Amino acid sequence: MNATLTLTKLDVLRVLRNGRYLIFAIAMPAALYLIIGKQNTQADGVDFKAYYMLAMATYGAFAGALMNNSIRIATERKSGWTRQLRLTSLPGWGYVFAKVVTSLATTIPSVLVVFGIGAFLNHVEMPAWKWVANAVILWLVSMTFVSLAVAIGYRFDPETAQPAVMLTFFPMAILGGLWFPLGGTLEKIGKWFPTYQAHKLGTDILATGKISATSIGVVAAWGVLFALLAVASYRSAKEQ
Amino acid sequence: MPRDTRSPDGAVVEFENVSKTFHSPKGPVHAVNGLTMALRPGQTIAFLGPNGAGKSTSLNMLLGLSRPDSGRVALFGGTAAEAIKHGMVGAMLQSGGLMSDVTVREQVELWAKLHPRPIPVADALKRANIADLADRRVDKLSGGQQQRVQFAMAIIGDSPLIVLDEPTTGMDVENRQAFWATMRERAYEGKTVLFATHYLEEADQFAERVIVINKGRLLADGSASEIKASAGAKRLSFRLPGVQDAVLHRLPNLVHVERQADIVRLQTSDSDATLYALLDAGYRPADIEIQALGLEQAFLAITAEDNNHGTLEAAR
Repeated sequence: MNATLTLTKLDVLRVLRNGRYLIFAIAMPAALYLIIGKQNTQADGVDFKAYYMLAMATYGAFAGALMNNSIRIATERKSGWTRQLRLTSLPGWGYVFAKVVTSLATTIPSVLVVFGIGAFLNHVEMPAWKWVANAVILWLVSMTFVSLAVAIGYRFDPETAQPAVMLTFFPMAILGGLWFPLGGTLEKIGKWFPTYQAHKLGTDILATGKISATSIGVVAAWGVLFALLAVASYRSAKEQ
Repeated sequence: MPRDTRSPDGAVVEFENVSKTFHSPKGPVHAVNGLTMALRPGQTIAFLGPNGAGKSTSLNMLLGLSRPDSGRVALFGGTAAEAIKHGMVGAMLQSGGLMSDVTVREQVELWAKLHPRPIPVADALKRANIADLADRRVDKLSGGQQQRVQFAMAIIGDSPLIVLDEPTTGMDVENRQAFWATMRERAYEGKTVLFATHYLEEADQFAERVIVINKGRLLADGSASEIKASAGAKRLSFRLPGVQDAVLHRLPNLVHVERQADIVRLQTSDSDATLYALLDAGYRPADIEIQALGLEQAFLAITAEDNNHGTLEAAR
């Protein structure tokens, strides 16, 4: 266990040093929020400043969970790093454990940065418990994308993992209304995505203090799907 | 320590009739084909073979990274996984990766934590000649420098068995010497060192024992000088005008005959016996020279002979 924790600690440190993570999971949502978020309008029954803060925090948390680890797992399988780890006392599950914990840890800065901008620069206001509830819920639902990261990392090569991430995540982010609110048919489609429903969990809490069973159901269903894909990819990669 | 308790005959590594076949579109490839060998503690062993001879496949099975189709592989009398878990093996893989976004020190420190009885990190860095690189990012190093990081990782566990696959590829002369100096210390401490290499002079200088495999089978096993002798690794040359080919071919211990006008060059496994026979036959050659051949020529000779033999067998 000590060995696994050491690896995990170093893995987290590496992600925080990585340029791609800093750009996609922290700088990009923070910048978008600073540029677009300062409108004095309403969306989904809440102030746009709060609406877009929750959207960007959701985007950043999911990007943080997904982008780095998927590509890193694919690269490290190819480079021989995972073979090298098999020549140590690290248990067989230690590597994927470290990656999952890293994903969960690296969603946190994205959320904190965007929430910080909301609270201190854009004057978003809500009771303390709602800030906490929103942060915790975002962290929990980002597990969905932690699973997707493992699924992609064990299925694709380093060269194809990046396009695979972009092609699954960006459409989900856009159709889920994270970059800009959608209406009409696109929103009807978007409602089926975990991105949309994760964001809605946040706006619902802000507006009503309650969350809907539909939102939880949709996010959980995707979570189960991605977890099954992760297990399948992991197993087939181990058999090779 | 499983070393003494579980392996009554004390072998560190045992291969017993081990085979491994890969299936390619062109048909099955018998990468390892009935390989049997045993390594005793404290030996420094060079593992040689031409490309595709089955070296990497054998090392992978030795380390438990792949399973043999048949036969038995044992490390310290047990499985590779058990031996590795107890920190009995330090390995440097040819295809081994390193982390990105970490410093050399962090990488080696991690390895120390992943082994039960590590030596101090500073010692490992010094022995691998990378103390001055400790704060550099691993992914920014040259190939030779990365080899040295891998080397530090292979020795940090203070493991009784050290396995090195092409350890000095990409190193410059100075680092190669430092590397072997450190390896000699390890061997002196009673560790078993098994290394595969392309540089035959390294095997000649540093290995007490040389194992040559070809086409997945054991071809030769012994000290470098034994292998040179078995390969007919002495060259006897002299000037002898007018001698008939038939006379030369009747000489004992002959491996190869080469003539250039009056100059005769013989490759022989026993230069004394060959020369005496020529003198006994009444000839008086001039300008006699006896030259020892290196392990490289010996290696080329025995693998070429094995390959020709294989071709003849196939032709029948």
